Amino acid sequence: MKKAFVKILAALTTFALLSSLLVGCGSNSGGSADTVTVGLLHSLTGPMAISEKSVRDAEVLAIEEINAAGGVLGNQIKYIEEDGASQPSTFATKAEKLVGQDKVVTVFGCWTSSSRKAVKSVFEDYSSLLWYPVQYEGMEQSPNIIYTGAAPNQQIVPAIEYLIEQGYKKFFLLGSDYVFPRTANMIIKAQVSAAGLETVGEEYAAMDQTDFAAIISKIEAAKPDVIVNTLNGTGNVSFFKQMSEKNYDASKYMTMSFSIAEEEVAAIGADILKDHMVSWNYYQTTDTPENTKFVAAYKAKFGNARVTSDPAEAAYDAVYLWKAAVEKAGSFDIDKVLSVIKTGEISYQAPEGKVTINGENQHLSKTVRIGKVGSGGLITEVFSTSSAVAPDPYLTTYDWAVAANIKPLE
Amino acid sequence: MNKFKKHGVNICFSLIVVGLAVMPLLLIGNVVDAPLIIFLGKCMAFSIVAIGLDLIWGHTGILSLGHGLYFALGGYGMAMYLKLQATHGAITEFMHTGGLTELPDVWKPFQSLPLTILLILVVPVLAAYMIGYFIFKNRVKGVYFSIISQALTWAVYSVFIALSPITNGNVGITEISSITGKIRGPTGQNNLIILFYGSLAILALVYALAVFLVKTKFGKLLIAIRDGENRTYFSGYCVSRYKTFVYVLSAAIAGIAGAVFVNFNGSITPSQMTIAGSINMVIWVAIGGRGTILGAVIGALLINLCEYNLSSGGMIEIWQYIVGGIFCITILFFKGGVVGLFTDQIPALMKKAKGGKSDAPIG
Repeated sequence: MKKAFVKILAALTTFALLSSLLVGCGSNSGGSADTVTVGLLHSLTGPMAISEKSVRDAEVLAIEEINAAGGVLGNQIKYIEEDGASQPSTFATKAEKLVGQDKVVTVFGCWTSSSRKAVKSVFEDYSSLLWYPVQYEGMEQSPNIIYTGAAPNQQIVPAIEYLIEQGYKKFFLLGSDYVFPRTANMIIKAQVSAAGLETVGEEYAAMDQTDFAAIISKIEAAKPDVIVNTLNGTGNVSFFKQMSEKNYDASKYMTMSFSIAEEEVAAIGADILKDHMVSWNYYQTTDTPENTKFVAAYKAKFGNARVTSDPAEAAYDAVYLWKAAVEKAGSFDIDKVLSVIKTGEISYQAPEGKVTINGENQHLSKTVRIGKVGSGGLITEVFSTSSAVAPDPYLTTYDWAVAANIKPLE
Repeated sequence: MNKFKKHGVNICFSLIVVGLAVMPLLLIGNVVDAPLIIFLGKCMAFSIVAIGLDLIWGHTGILSLGHGLYFALGGYGMAMYLKLQATHGAITEFMHTGGLTELPDVWKPFQSLPLTILLILVVPVLAAYMIGYFIFKNRVKGVYFSIISQALTWAVYSVFIALSPITNGNVGITEISSITGKIRGPTGQNNLIILFYGSLAILALVYALAVFLVKTKFGKLLIAIRDGENRTYFSGYCVSRYKTFVYVLSAAIAGIAGAVFVNFNGSITPSQMTIAGSINMVIWVAIGGRGTILGAVIGALLINLCEYNLSSGGMIEIWQYIVGGIFCITILFFKGGVVGLFTDQIPALMKKAKGGKSDAPIG
């Protein structure tokens, strides 16, 4: 008798608990009269947290600066943060929560290509807008995503052109085993062979691989002039440490890296990376008045030990570009914002120089900069394009890419 | 009243089903938003896989740390069908990038829905049978089995990453709609409701099957194997055959769960079959209460709803500690999980408070 009663009680309590959890996530929609709500969607836990934190911080900095200067269209910006937990399906769930439930006007977020691909259809189905701040492999163009990082022709292609100009002849391609390195290497192989030069090896390491002995011995056997490195994350630390244990420095094997920015230099060690080359659109040392201000503000807010990097700067630009687009449209409405973006006239005087959103493919035109790691851990520019390079995510303006059939599926 | 005593657990499950069934009505009434319904759909998929896990872990005592594998196999099957629906049978973007010009042979069966549904069941079943047959026949058990199940998941994960022209590597299969059509956005509401009720029916069926099985002689044997494998063996039962069967069954259930999940999630990636993901599933069962079936459902719903609500706003950087803390407290003080708390510990406490002798074992 009593036991039965208790069981029913138990059932009811459980049910009540569940429903209270559900009510807990009831609707709180997009901000009151003089505030506007945006979403920030990054991994703050899990393996990607270390990278995405800097991007998230840059976005918060931009939002606070804009608020201090009076907001957007007279509205203070409020932000709702969601954790993607380094898991693409969580990104999809959280993107949905932000645009469908919290009804934010736009979202700044993602880092990895797999998280971007997982949320792409969410933003398209809800007709919402995502600002994606990281350089990536290209071959994509969504009407509901603005790509503020570099397309391949603004990072990879010019870097290889620079190496060819400098007289490097034998290329060794090394990358982590995922979509960015594989696509990047596909592009590089086509470009190198079109120049009549040679790719002497192509190796992929698992994402969390720590033992590079086998790969290093393959490099020794192939005797390349330069190693084109698309390793990501912890792989870089192990690879460069093991190269330096063998006393291989930049004079023995030069490397050109696409995923090593100021933050990674600090993690790997500036002495190990000294004189190695990287390719980005922005360095902390980039000499513009806007950058001096940006670096000072970033350090003042997050600590003197922090460094700014290309992805952080691109995320910072994204917030200001959104503000410019909203102000031009005179409204937060996505359709109106997208239609002013389509005119190709939205630009911003960024720390990296003037960036403009291309109306057709919604990527930015950016200046390309090749840099060398200095002994202090900062990267100094050794070459830059004379003006901003127009984005070409599908490489349709390059004859060798068209000849190699690098193009989207019809 | 006796009826309630006997069926308390089932009544509780019915209440959960009713609670879930009301949700789409709230969606129509604009009380809740579509994302919550979609998320609850994913939670139902997690509940289904947890039921399968409870059958082998809670009832038979085999701790599998690799059920994410079967979940992902079912999920990939469904996703391949849905992707081919989206491309009308043509090759996908990532196959083109990977240098393929026509559809790979492994993709071809997924052009038809009946064949897809068959494969969602058959692939996990065959994989589990091959592993289970040899492992249980050789009487590998306990922690050795757990390690093998983990290693296997890791191996298949690596294969999926390496075969990127066919599987799209770590990006997986994305940009697909559900089996009922588009479920997101203003036009997808009806499709979403149909899909939600369909999945709820699957959850109820799987639950009923599991409860039925554990009540039969077969179920008693599973518990006998858990509590005294050698005795069962010496009583003349072919233990390995029973173990293989229940392992295969739970793999099939995991495959179904994966297929349900993909419909709501709109993508599948190999990260679904990582070891961390598989251990998460074990945590759901442990917190809900192992060996009760109902506990698996409650655990999966509870933990995922907690994560959903905690991992944003102010607790965004500490939510994992909270969930971890809940897990530790459950393991240390409430061995029977949420269900055990209500069926054993609270009644025992109440009896004690009344001065009566406690006959229910604590914990």
